[in-house]
Amino acid sequence: MTFRTKLFLIFTLALVVSVGLVAAAVTEVTRRAFDEMNRQHTDALVAQFQREFAQRSDDVVHRVQGIADAEGTVRMAIDLSRPKGDVSVYVNDAAGVAKAHQLDYLDFISNDGSIISSAEWPARFGYKIDWVLQPEDWAARGSFLMKVDTQEGAALALVSVSRVRVGDKDLYIVGGERLGREFLASLVLPAGMRALLYLNLDPAFQAANLIDSTGPASQGEQFASIVEKEQQQPGTEIAKINWTADAANAEVFHAMPLVGREKELLGILLIGSSQHDAVTLQRQIMLLSVGVVSLGLLLGALLGWWGAARVTRPVRQLAEGAREVAGGNWNARVNVRGRNEIGQLAKAFNQMTEQLVDQRERLLQAERVAAWREVARRLAHELKNPLFPLQTTVENLQRAKEQNYGEFEEVFHESTGILLAEIENLKNIVGRFSEFSKMPHPELASIQINEIVRGVVKLFEAQFGAVGRPPITPELHLDDHLTVIEADPALLHRALENLVLNAMDAMPSGGVLMLRTSSAEGGVHIEISDTGTGLTSEECERLFTPYYTTKQHGTGLGLAIVQSVVSDHGGRIWVESEAGVGTSFHIELPKHPPRQSVSFPISFDYEKEKEKEKEPEPEKHKQEA
Amino acid sequence: MLRRLAASSTGLAILLTALPVETARRPRYGGMLRVEIGAAVTSLDPAVATANQEEAAAKGQIDSLIYDTRDADGTFRGAGAFHLTAFESGKRAVLAATEDYRLGRPFVDSIEITMGRGARDRIVDLELNKTDFAEIPAEDARRAAERGVRVSRSKPDELLALVFLGGAEPKRMRSVDLRVREALALSIDRAAIVNFILQKEGEPAGGLLPQWSSGTAFLFSTAANAVHAKELSAQIVPAPKIVLGYDFGDSLEQAVAERIAVNAREAGIRLTAQAVRPAVENAADARLVRLRMQSTRPALALEDFMDALGAMAKIEATGLPEPASPEDIYNRERAIVSSYRVVPLVWLPRVYGLSARVRDWTPPGAGEFWPLADVWLDALAEPASEEGKQ
Repeated sequence: MTFRTKLFLIFTLALVVSVGLVAAAVTEVTRRAFDEMNRQHTDALVAQFQREFAQRSDDVVHRVQGIADAEGTVRMAIDLSRPKGDVSVYVNDAAGVAKAHQLDYLDFISNDGSIISSAEWPARFGYKIDWVLQPEDWAARGSFLMKVDTQEGAALALVSVSRVRVGDKDLYIVGGERLGREFLASLVLPAGMRALLYLNLDPAFQAANLIDSTGPASQGEQFASIVEKEQQQPGTEIAKINWTADAANAEVFHAMPLVGREKELLGILLIGSSQHDAVTLQRQIMLLSVGVVSLGLLLGALLGWWGAARVTRPVRQLAEGAREVAGGNWNARVNVRGRNEIGQLAKAFNQMTEQLVDQRERLLQAERVAAWREVARRLAHELKNPLFPLQTTVENLQRAKEQNYGEFEEVFHESTGILLAEIENLKNIVGRFSEFSKMPHPELASIQINEIVRGVVKLFEAQFGAVGRPPITPELHLDDHLTVIEADPALLHRALENLVLNAMDAMPSGGVLMLRTSSAEGGVHIEISDTGTGLTSEECERLFTPYYTTKQHGTGLGLAIVQSVVSDHGGRIWVESEAGVGTSFHIELPKHPPRQSVSFPISFDYEKEKEKEKEPEPEKHKQEA
Repeated sequence: MLRRLAASSTGLAILLTALPVETARRPRYGGMLRVEIGAAVTSLDPAVATANQEEAAAKGQIDSLIYDTRDADGTFRGAGAFHLTAFESGKRAVLAATEDYRLGRPFVDSIEITMGRGARDRIVDLELNKTDFAEIPAEDARRAAERGVRVSRSKPDELLALVFLGGAEPKRMRSVDLRVREALALSIDRAAIVNFILQKEGEPAGGLLPQWSSGTAFLFSTAANAVHAKELSAQIVPAPKIVLGYDFGDSLEQAVAERIAVNAREAGIRLTAQAVRPAVENAADARLVRLRMQSTRPALALEDFMDALGAMAKIEATGLPEPASPEDIYNRERAIVSSYRVVPLVWLPRVYGLSARVRDWTPPGAGEFWPLADVWLDALAEPASEEGKQ
């Protein structure tokens, strides 16, 4: 992923997160505002309910007291206080009185608690209502909620009790008003709110007991959990009911327990707040947020892409310049303006490349001078050896002529022979230098490296066991599954030949010559080891330097040629040696050599040198070319 | 009767010495007797069927005044004490005295019968002296009397009973368990019905015949036993649900049915009172019925009841031996009651309201008609004006 893409994604992500957070915050604030509004509405409705409840309570108390104070009731009380008072006369009175006083329920109850007359259940005369006999100041009690048994079933009523006392006998008047849909209908509800009443008349939840201002509430079974919670633990409860999968159709219900005289749960007022408006507004906000986010994302993406491009252009130019430098183009320059960090970096880059080119030039010049000096030294050294015999021989020949020795002829023949031999030696020297200078470029072909190795070993088979010299035992460990590589077979043969010759020279007392091939990452690995005397660390360091040799008659060009061949194939060579144990040359060749490989006469592996420093084994040396 | 006694001086002398002072005046002829009835008789033609039992009874009462005798099959025959002079279907009938009636001319010159007057209106008219004679519901008698209405009661000869419907009607092939029937019968507080609903008119009924008729009614318990009723109903799981039907236009039956529902509820029986209309299909398992005795003779009365209940309550129509001894009648009565298919509730009297000027009124016995030909109107108690009724 490019830096520009990363930068763009970061911009976009930051934008999405920011806008998302803002949208979430707005939604949350809106939701809380609606919750607060609903709570206020609910509180207002509860307060209204309580006011209405209190007002109706007062009404019921006054009406029941009015019945108690009425002439007919007093006469009834007087009549019933007589020893033979006949209650049957009054059995039908309650209905008419209740109707006159607009009460839904009215019972006249005698001194012993027996019903004299009942408006809501006329046939229930004679049965006893014990609770009314409990010692209680009914006048102070006011009205209270009560479960009333009627002919049609149980109902919830707001009830008040009055007592008319004549002599030592009491007449109780129990009157009440039904707490039902009429009561709910009297509540003024804000839009989106409704009030329901659950009549807790049965031990278990009964959907039919849930009513609203029009009658039985629809889908009453949905309230089972709320009601059951209230039944278990009366208290203010808030619950949400999702009528459909659409959240806009949900309602939040505040449940308020309605308790009776003995604090028993008789009813539950449920105030519902529709979530339609809140959800609709939230959706609108969400929709607007999505629109803003989308638009913001689009603009942000465009701006981000443009900004990222603007910011990353110098960086890309720097990267491109660095790539060019890495690719060998040390003249690469970055055209970045500005005084910011990127501009300073570009300026530093350009300075760096200029310095690199300058230093390279100087290094090359120094190397070139050093190389010429070395060549001059070697030439001087190589030519000096044959020149001295030539000089001596010519001087001997001159001296023999001047002294007129009789053996001049013999000296002449001997001297000319020496001269010819040394001249031949000079020609050989010149030929080898000429050959090194004429190292050809590799002619690539698909080869199996094992075949090259076997061919080299076969070439030297006769010399391994030659008479008069200690035997050398070749050991071949060749990987039969080696991949085919592209290489110049002749050059590789020549390189391996030189390494085998070096190994044989390193084992004057005989030994084991081991040749191993194996697969390497992206190519092959060749190892040629001997069991000779080994090399010192200094020797290892200079081993691949042209014209450096440890042998008495060596030219110092063999390993330089090997290194040159390996380098031309895009591979690498290194040496590992341990004094008294032997030396191993390692070559790694790629499967596909580069088209034009740049060869350096000597390379120095810094990491391997560091490894060497970390593992100080003075007797074991490794040098990579 | 007085009229017949007046025909002989001996009888008259006996009568004069026997009557209280205020009624011991000499009967006089004349005047119009104003009668109000609840039923609306649409036709006096015997061939025209009546709409209900009430109309049939009212039609029979009018026929008894017009005709002299009645055959065994109920057909009226002969010239009666009165003859019809005017008839407005369902509204009004005017009868004039037959001068040459074979048993003597009636005391009153005419009888005007106003039909279709409700019970409340009849009582009010009696209070206001706008009518001379009207039959009033038993449950209203006490209140009417307290309001100054002159009330006359017959012997209790109408049985109000709860009847579990039997299999005579295919759609009512309901079978309520005997224990449930017994529990329900035991749960009913008959005394409360008499004292409160009937305002102490009538008497609790344990048997199918009243005490004054059979003399054995006291052997049938009328007391409620709620504890035993509850024990019996608890034996039946699940608790049965009974629908008790009552005549939709009968307020007494409605009140009694609702009271029975309360009693049953206390005993653990789920009973619902439901108004039913004649000829309309309903889901009632039991019904309240009124059975009026057609004879003072217990055997005949019981036979009548058995005929009426046989089909309805699936009671075996085993006849009584001829002649039937009191023991036979009792055993038969006991057998029926013990099946709990018929639960006697109360005996109701017929209650009549009379104006102050009506003299020599005697409540008719069981199966008898109103003896209006025997009453006379006291001139000292004439209403202020009779024009308003015309």
